[in-house]
Amino acid sequence: MKLEIIKPEKKLFEGEAKSVVVPDAMGQLGILNRHAPLIAALKKGTIKVTETNGKVQLFDINGGVVEVLKNKVIILAE
Amino acid sequence: MPNLKEVRLRITSVNSTSQITSAMKMVSAAKLKRAQDAITTMRPYANKLKEILENVSSGLGSAESVFSQKPKQEKNILIVAISSNRGLAGAFNANIIKRTNQLIKGDFSGKNVSVVCIGKKVADAFRRSPVFYSGTDIPSDLNKLFDALTFDNVRPVAESIMNAFKQGKFDKIVLVYNQFKNAAVQVTLTEQFLPVSAEGSSTTTKTSVDYIFSPDVEFIVSDLIPRSLKTQLFKALLDSNAAEHGARMTAMHKATDNAKEMLRELRLTYNKARQAAITKEILEIVAGAEALNG
Repeated sequence: MKLEIIKPEKKLFEGEAKSVVVPDAMGQLGILNRHAPLIAALKKGTIKVTETNGKVQLFDINGGVVEVLKNKVIILAE
Repeated sequence: MPNLKEVRLRITSVNSTSQITSAMKMVSAAKLKRAQDAITTMRPYANKLKEILENVSSGLGSAESVFSQKPKQEKNILIVAISSNRGLAGAFNANIIKRTNQLIKGDFSGKNVSVVCIGKKVADAFRRSPVFYSGTDIPSDLNKLFDALTFDNVRPVAESIMNAFKQGKFDKIVLVYNQFKNAAVQVTLTEQFLPVSAEGSSTTTKTSVDYIFSPDVEFIVSDLIPRSLKTQLFKALLDSNAAEHGARMTAMHKATDNAKEMLRELRLTYNKARQAAITKEILEIVAGAEALNG
């Protein structure tokens, strides 16, 4: 799946990812390939991205929102 | 005929002025590049946020939030005027001051208007006026925002303005700023900040996608509206910053051109005066020799 993590000032991540775990308002929310369309509010926490080659990246965010549509994940972080 | 020495002095001074203006133009061009990059990375974020907000609230009818409720009457108005800290940018700052005054005397006449100033130039213009907002709930060192224009620095300012609205201190908040079109064109805009205006056009482009909402639509909307407001203020500041450098670049470019033209004319005058002086000297010598011979 395609993943984009954007902050107002810069792009944090853009590319293919195997999985992404985001801090959902209700707890942790994991998104894998071919996830159903989703819009979720995020709270302060850490985004964990696993790239297709198995490399793990962490991003700290201050809340935000995530949209999943047509196997494309867009995270608008703050 | 003008004095030779005088003209020479003027040539030197105009020359150094043109050096200064062309250096300022160069600096502005470099700064404009950076400001432009900032706004171009910001735009997709703002657009996406707006799109998601529209998608979410289209299922809800109208966005219900403390920020979208229209007050019963518009009595207390807050104008957030955004200018720059430095001058020499053509009509950039004058436009903001003019527009703000127009709003106070025109659209909002008879109402209780306050002005919050971001940027030294507009603050200088309104500091002594009775409309200048002196409350302590909105940070007063707003001019420093332009030293480090980051989202983290803008956030507390946006939050304090939103709080003032939430507490009912103001019924309507508008932003006045210069929007960056391109390096030569700035548009002075008056934009409603609060209450959030519900746009009717968004419902026509309603997507038929069945989203899963987590935790629920109301929560997401109430979470997204403050976010999009912060983004809106940040975008206005970035716009104004890019527009400032664009305006200064154009102004300095014109100043350099004018200085070059002036130099050309001065050089012509100088050479004419020099020729005249030489002719006069020769005439005097010839006349002197004639007198001796005669």
